Amino acid sequence: MANLTIKNLFKRYDNVGKKTKTVNDYAVNDLCLTCNDGEFVALLGPSGCGKTTTLRMIAGLEEITKGDIYIGETRINDLHPKDRHIGLAFEDYAMYPPLTVYDNIAFNLRAKGVAKGEIDGRVRDIAKLMHCEELLDMMPVKLSGGQKQRVNIARAIVRRPEILLMDEPLSHLDGKMRQSMRVEIKRLHIEINCTSVYVTHDQLEAMSLADRIAIMDLGVLQQFGTPMEVYDDPVNEFVAAFIGEPPMNILETTVIKDENDFFFTFAESELRILVPARYYSKVRDGFRVKMGVRPMDLYVGGPESKGNPERVAVFENLGDERRIGVRVGEHMMMLITNDETRYRHGDIIRLEVNGEKTHLFDLETGDRIRSDR
Amino acid sequence: MAKIELINVSKRFGKTTALKNVTLEIQDKEFFVLFGPAGAGKTTILNNIAGIQIPEEGMVRIGDEVVNQVDPADRNVAMVFENYALYPHMTVYDNIASPLRSPRYKKFKDNKAQNEAYIKEAVHKVAAMMKIDKLLERLPSQLSNGQRQRVALGRALVREPNVFLMDEPLAHLDAKLRNAMRSELKEMQTAFGTTSIYVTHDFMEAMSLANRIAVINLGEIIQVGTSDEIYYMPRNEFVAQLMGDPEINLLECTLVREDGSSLCWAECPEQLIPMPKHEELEERTEGMEQIHVGLRPQNVHYHFEKVPGAFTGNVYSFETIGNKSVLTVQVGDQHLRVIAPNGLPVKLDQEIFVTMEIDRAIFFDAGTTEYIGRFDEAAVKELVAEQAKEA
Repeated sequence: MANLTIKNLFKRYDNVGKKTKTVNDYAVNDLCLTCNDGEFVALLGPSGCGKTTTLRMIAGLEEITKGDIYIGETRINDLHPKDRHIGLAFEDYAMYPPLTVYDNIAFNLRAKGVAKGEIDGRVRDIAKLMHCEELLDMMPVKLSGGQKQRVNIARAIVRRPEILLMDEPLSHLDGKMRQSMRVEIKRLHIEINCTSVYVTHDQLEAMSLADRIAIMDLGVLQQFGTPMEVYDDPVNEFVAAFIGEPPMNILETTVIKDENDFFFTFAESELRILVPARYYSKVRDGFRVKMGVRPMDLYVGGPESKGNPERVAVFENLGDERRIGVRVGEHMMMLITNDETRYRHGDIIRLEVNGEKTHLFDLETGDRIRSDR
Repeated sequence: MAKIELINVSKRFGKTTALKNVTLEIQDKEFFVLFGPAGAGKTTILNNIAGIQIPEEGMVRIGDEVVNQVDPADRNVAMVFENYALYPHMTVYDNIASPLRSPRYKKFKDNKAQNEAYIKEAVHKVAAMMKIDKLLERLPSQLSNGQRQRVALGRALVREPNVFLMDEPLAHLDAKLRNAMRSELKEMQTAFGTTSIYVTHDFMEAMSLANRIAVINLGEIIQVGTSDEIYYMPRNEFVAQLMGDPEINLLECTLVREDGSSLCWAECPEQLIPMPKHEELEERTEGMEQIHVGLRPQNVHYHFEKVPGAFTGNVYSFETIGNKSVLTVQVGDQHLRVIAPNGLPVKLDQEIFVTMEIDRAIFFDAGTTEYIGRFDEAAVKELVAEQAKEA
């Protein structure tokens, strides 16, 4: 068990045929990250954001262009992968098909020359931990996807690595299995308490598993924080839009001044939303900005409501919850209702906004514009 | 516009039976969803309607015509693919017009001017319906994804097909786009007015889009009904487990009938769960001892203190899933999924208490796993009837 420290890490693939070097030539661009001992960190981002490249550099499967990686106090840049004390669990399970599950798990221990009696004890302990004891005598082809992934992770942790690296281990599993494996991985982490780095493109997996999430885009770290930090307090539009299901409503708006109040207004829409007073020092008449609000921070007003009357464009009854879509110009603004009311296409609702939960983003850079308090 | 019927359709591939005696009746103008896990036979049904595959047994009917022997091109069905497959070098107008310009569909074969006049009218009509009438001069590369989808749908609709077939059109989009596209599709659906059959394995899509849903498993139709019907009165445990995320909790219970009836949960036999009086349910469960009780995660509640009737358990896991969290509580050997707010201060393995809204429970036969009933069935049936009327 140890800290993992990444300092100013760069990775550049020498693209054939590309003449100019721009910032985007870096698959990983000046990444700094510290995972504390025993911490579960998720690397999250869309495909091509550099998350897997980062993981592969930690594992030693990819050369480092620039920068340093430390495990504990040891700089591992030049260490051979096998000497880095790392456990790996990848998306494809890559088990040895002619070997039983037992032999698959024991393989690395045998290769390292661990004593026979000890191997047996450790394999059985891990199998118990991963709930795959009854699978030990089976061949890999007989296993379901979920079982294979259990064995795969068991094989990664049997060597007692200092860092456990996982690359989308659940992405091949169907929804139900993914849900239960997620719970298992979380439990496992608490039991073995091994510093873990988990690569995923699924924000839900990252939110539910990680102590902290590092969100990357185009090789650049956008934000590193706890799940609730990145959810409630995103640093920019990218993070705001990437985290959360259903996603945050983000709309372009023009602020107008009406007497002493400011309002958000929207192209091709009657909708007006009062700008919360905390933003008054940041906005002026005619100011163009993006406004973001999560679907659960919008609600249907009661009969007394002074909210804007809006037409229901879409009503989705999802059983567990209900969603209403309202057209705001080109955009569909979604809100979630928890009551049992069934709305119909064309119904008029009073749209209320929890102003305290609105975020502003710069039109050009997408950076968050924060209020004074 | 047409009604679609499948009558006792069976389809085999070598030794595997893909469809077993499938009978379905899809109403004119209905938006019908085929829903089930991978390998259930959903796409096979679609292919049999399109004529890409021909059933070994049974009949496929479009309108009044049996189409088993009709060539796919003559069935007048339109398919929408996952990638919109627009012609990148053509404007939106030309993309939508393209099926009408194909030699097969030319209305006025020899008169180009007359044909173009007809096309112009048809394209503008569809474009207005799909709200893309302002985009007709643009190229696909100048459109957002939502607009592209509208163009693809417009192109499929322009030749007024009998039926509109969609096979997981949203499956490979990322979560953000999928959400947006789903509501776009839902909004447009009223404009279609064309019988539509939509295949998906995503229960949210099924619930959201369908007038009616057919749940399919292993080549057989398990249940057909409106979304409320399938969600609240699932035909069996399999259907109940498919509808809802996180999954429904199923409790193994014994019925106890002394001093009014109550349930004895196998994980906690010393503590009975009293049940409201319900004559019909009592009748239906007469003579039964074992019963499975289905409780959705939002109908199980957690407490930090022991309240009357609460079961004692331990926190097994706590996961944030966006706007809410799932708390898994271990009671005996069972894991109960409970909906909880984000940021709930819980530690793993700490003691916690749960109560159940038993009047929202669904009862299943312990042997056959078939639906027996629920206490609020009368209210639920009203909801279902209302939804069916609307459809």
